[in-house]
Amino acid sequence: MNDKLYRTILFIAALTIPIVCGGVVYALITDAYDAFEHFGFFRFLTSSEWSYTEGAEQYGALPFITGTLLTTLLALLFCIPFSLPVAFFVGEYFKGSRVASILSTVTDLLAGIPSIIYGLWGFYTLRPVIITLNISPQGSGILTASLVLAIMIVPYAASLSAEFIKMVPNDLKESAYSLGATRAEVVRKIIFPVAGSGIFSSYILAIGRALGETMTVTMLIGNTNNIPTSITSTGNSMASIIANQFGEADGLRLSSLIAIGLILFLITAVINMIGKMMIKRARIS
Amino acid sequence: MTLVLVLAVASCGGSGTSNGERKAQELSGAGATFPLPFYNVVFDQFSGVNGDAVAYGGIGSGGGIRNLRDKIVDFAGTDAFLSDKEMEEMAPVIHIPTCMGAVVLAYNLDGVESLNLSGEVIADIFAGAIKTWNDPRLTALNPDVNLPAGAIIPVFRSDGSGTTFVFTDYLTKVSPMWASNYGTGKSVNFPTGQAAKGNPGVAGIISQTKNSIGYIGSEYAFAQKIPYAKIMNQRGELVEPTSTTISASASGEIPADTRTSITNADAEGAYPISCFTWMVIYKEQNYSDRSREQAIATLDLMKYILSDEAQDVTSKVHYAPLPAKAKELSMKNLKTVTYNGMAILKD
Amino acid sequence: MANQKIKHRLAKDKLMLWTICIFATLTAVPLFAILGEVLLRGYSQLSWSFFTEPTPTAYKAMKAIEAGEPIPGGIANGIVGTMIILSMAVVVAVPVGILCGTFLAENRKKRFAKIVSYLTDLVQGIPSVIIGIITYIWIVVPMKGYSAIAGSVALCIMMLPLIIRSTEETLKILPASLKEAGLALGGNKARVMMKVQLPAAFGGIFTGVLLAISRVIGETAPLMFTALGCSFIRWSINKPISAVPLLIWEFFNDPHLQELIWGASLFLLIFVLTLNLTAKYLAKKWNQ
Repeated sequence: MNDKLYRTILFIAALTIPIVCGGVVYALITDAYDAFEHFGFFRFLTSSEWSYTEGAEQYGALPFITGTLLTTLLALLFCIPFSLPVAFFVGEYFKGSRVASILSTVTDLLAGIPSIIYGLWGFYTLRPVIITLNISPQGSGILTASLVLAIMIVPYAASLSAEFIKMVPNDLKESAYSLGATRAEVVRKIIFPVAGSGIFSSYILAIGRALGETMTVTMLIGNTNNIPTSITSTGNSMASIIANQFGEADGLRLSSLIAIGLILFLITAVINMIGKMMIKRARIS
Repeated sequence: MTLVLVLAVASCGGSGTSNGERKAQELSGAGATFPLPFYNVVFDQFSGVNGDAVAYGGIGSGGGIRNLRDKIVDFAGTDAFLSDKEMEEMAPVIHIPTCMGAVVLAYNLDGVESLNLSGEVIADIFAGAIKTWNDPRLTALNPDVNLPAGAIIPVFRSDGSGTTFVFTDYLTKVSPMWASNYGTGKSVNFPTGQAAKGNPGVAGIISQTKNSIGYIGSEYAFAQKIPYAKIMNQRGELVEPTSTTISASASGEIPADTRTSITNADAEGAYPISCFTWMVIYKEQNYSDRSREQAIATLDLMKYILSDEAQDVTSKVHYAPLPAKAKELSMKNLKTVTYNGMAILKD
Repeated sequence: MANQKIKHRLAKDKLMLWTICIFATLTAVPLFAILGEVLLRGYSQLSWSFFTEPTPTAYKAMKAIEAGEPIPGGIANGIVGTMIILSMAVVVAVPVGILCGTFLAENRKKRFAKIVSYLTDLVQGIPSVIIGIITYIWIVVPMKGYSAIAGSVALCIMMLPLIIRSTEETLKILPASLKEAGLALGGNKARVMMKVQLPAAFGGIFTGVLLAISRVIGETAPLMFTALGCSFIRWSINKPISAVPLLIWEFFNDPHLQELIWGASLFLLIFVLTLNLTAKYLAKKWNQ
């Protein structure tokens, strides 16, 4: 085949992605339009009403935006104390060894577990534990969802961070050691600054995963339409309210749910953009 | 001789509805999860009659109606019949009741083996007006039981559901306070308590949360052996949900299109939170390039569900069979179903 | 004095080492906890009939529970459905994904490629429930029905970014000399790609495909809006069809079939973990 045909085929294949994206955005915008028109874009974003009274329905996205951001933030906080050590274990301390390889495999397997199984495990195993520990009476809520979410995103953060940590040039480390630095100091003063933005970008990737997680969060977050007041309260995330109510929704409510989907899409797009910029900076330096 | 043969063949290839004369069809439906255990058995048995396969997805009553409106299913299953307004937005449809069920009040109270409740009390509990178990109105209904002093934790459905519709329909009828503040609907603004998704969610919370009370489908409560309350009906009797008491709710008037709510029935021995569940089909069956055979198969399914063979299954899976009146009206309604304007069922 | 300071630093160093080791090991705990739990609850259901028979009705299950017997039936309808949906998704996603990844690797500087690259990451981040809804709007409604085809479209969209990324990254890592040597020997770009570069990149690409499959095989939400589910084994692609994760969700919601949840989950888990381990093993082999 000649070059021209080759290039055309590749180009057509590449078109699928913008077409899919375009299809998603178009469908989301057209179906969300009603809700935005009815409530006004900014009012919809900041309203925390979610009321079904016939003829006077009020829907607002704020509780769910809060729910998503809160669970994602907490998941991040819970995952850092585990993914960072794994990244350093694999990328620096025991780099190249058998143990590191095993740990790396085990961590990656966590990414393979289907989300419905995480949800089931959280529902049947973690919830009773949380109830017994008296942390919350019903066991589900922001905390439970965030804990399981944290486990789910550890592999994304850990494996990519490990890659960047491995890439820190040896001579930089060697010169630090020759000056008498301890390993801990090399980590703090050399590895972190050099691999820092790469590590940061891996957490952006992890955030992206957490933002969109549907099944697990729906089963564990408690499904109430209020702005959560504490980490043990129940709530809803943007993905979970859609999963919850889409089956029965119609008219204005359906449009509001799609509007929430659109907002989630936009937030994901922005976070991805930030992450990409950081990776670019990390690779350049 | 050939003429006779030709005539014989011609009459065989006609639009009869008797079994064995048409190809097996594949039907699909979607909607209510409430009657799923019953439907699964019925569809399984139905496939043995003429080989028709039925696939049904329990995506919720609203989802089913939406699918029907989008014309992508043969029938929709719903616990809440379409309102007049909803019917205006669609081509004409027929409601066929398939069986009866009940919504029960399941609870988690230490050492309490049986609990009595009345409609107004239930409404006040879910509205937050009655806050503790040892409230005088509760102890009055339960003189022989030691009710704890703890706070009541109501549990309700977070996803829109036909079960919520039936429950709130009952509360609207028995409590003017509920009627004016919360009303009826598949989703309602419950002011207090905890939400959970689906029957398992609610049942799960109830079984793990002391002093909780919530509403779930009867089938679910029976299968999981969750304790549920006796409820006082309009005649002042304290009634438990059983096949008999559920059927008793339907002994009153039924409108010609069978769209009726039978909660709070004024009948002896009736369990007050009983309900019909329906399958909804289009009156004109030629939509989305459906074949005539498909329409015939759909009607065969409807007829089968109304038959004794199917209705006998109901009590085996903890539902209740349809009263004769409902079956009669349904058969009448089925005869108005057309394909290209011509009625499908003869006679 | 200096001694004190050195002791201090050495102590911190040791503390860091221990912290890292302890927390890293703790990370392995959830995997074994989950695997163990599912194994314990599910192994008793695994039997030949579990894999070859369709789901039982609630009534049969109820009778079996009352009689104290294991619930009859199994998840055969889900296994068949998953296989059908997955194979259709793979048949489209793999060629399109590889071609697209090749495009991105060949045209790194071009503006269009950079946009496509960004959009690829974006598609990867779309919540699965939204992909389900979009596929419902664009495929199920025009097709006037739920189908395996719609399900495979949804899964295909979810697989594409992973395959594109791994193709692109693997091709980028290949030494430039490989391509140059191929061109110098007289091949045109297409030939060099097909006969030299892609075969060299096969390891990474194959790993990407395996990972993509393991990612979508456990997805429930998109299939709820596209495949609907079915209680018997079905081979047609334009009708509603079952899938293993759909069955797990149905079992979760049915009071009589609770026990089956774990058998089905165990099957899914073992399948996915095997895929992942195979991918890892192959990646290592091919990288050497």
